[in-house]
Amino acid sequence: MPPLARIYVKAAFVYFIATFVLGALMMLNGWLSFSHWLEAVEISQLHLLVVGWITQLAIGVAYWIFPRFLKEQDPRPRGSDALTWAVFLCLNAGLLLRFVFEPFYLMGPSPWLAALLAWSGVLQAVAALSFGWLIWGRIRAMEP
Amino acid sequence: MPATTRAFVKASILYLGLGALLGALLLVNRWVPLGSAILALKASHVQFLVVGWLTQLILGVAWWLFPPLQIGLRPDLPLPVRRGRTQRGREPLFWAAFVCLNVGVLLQAVFAPLYSWTQIGLFNFLAGISGLFLVVAAVASVVNLWGRVRELGRGK
Repeated sequence: MPPLARIYVKAAFVYFIATFVLGALMMLNGWLSFSHWLEAVEISQLHLLVVGWITQLAIGVAYWIFPRFLKEQDPRPRGSDALTWAVFLCLNAGLLLRFVFEPFYLMGPSPWLAALLAWSGVLQAVAALSFGWLIWGRIRAMEP
Repeated sequence: MPATTRAFVKASILYLGLGALLGALLLVNRWVPLGSAILALKASHVQFLVVGWLTQLILGVAWWLFPPLQIGLRPDLPLPVRRGRTQRGREPLFWAAFVCLNVGVLLQAVFAPLYSWTQIGLFNFLAGISGLFLVVAAVASVVNLWGRVRELGRGK
């Protein structure tokens, strides 16, 4: 498994654990009511699960196992390392920005919180489109 | 990577892009109000990412990588002998799953918001039948892949 794929998969595992810990806290909070923040974090938790864990794992594994570029297509077998890093950074920056600020926005909306959330969405969209750009050429028949 | 998988994976990546763009639009709407009609796109955002992207990617990669069917195995050899496409299952059924899944996703993602905006009954009907296409896609995929969920090796 190449180093960049390992970074994606390890980050996905961290989100996996964090999401389940958060889920457990949310369930306890439903019973004991010890935090308003945990009441507002439900949508962010869902995004940590679907984007941070499942999507990030899928991206990391696709980067690892999809057919590599032919030498005449690109001398770098898995494409640009810089673009792969950019996808990783945009995805995680966008996701964490949303996770940190969305509960506060839901508890008391303000323009600057809304702006941060808008940028979190833009960063994640940039990550998704960049991943499409990175991997598209590797969706090909294997050489015999 | 077989042609079927390539179609599934390319479609899934298109849905990832579309779903993420809709998600960004929904978040931008909190900062720069674009109108309450935008909120109707939330269902399309979820449908694109959970079914169009994740489910479709998983099915496409499973078709590519799961162990081959036992057709053409030779018991005197330690590993299965590849006999091409037939060992992956019924390809027409997998294409049918591909068509049904994408018709289902698009019907729901397009017509559920359209109905919300216009209240035209036909759009509600078209969004309503999307679930049937998705059920057919799910059953066709599972029926086709079921026999390949097995131990790799001779006659196992």
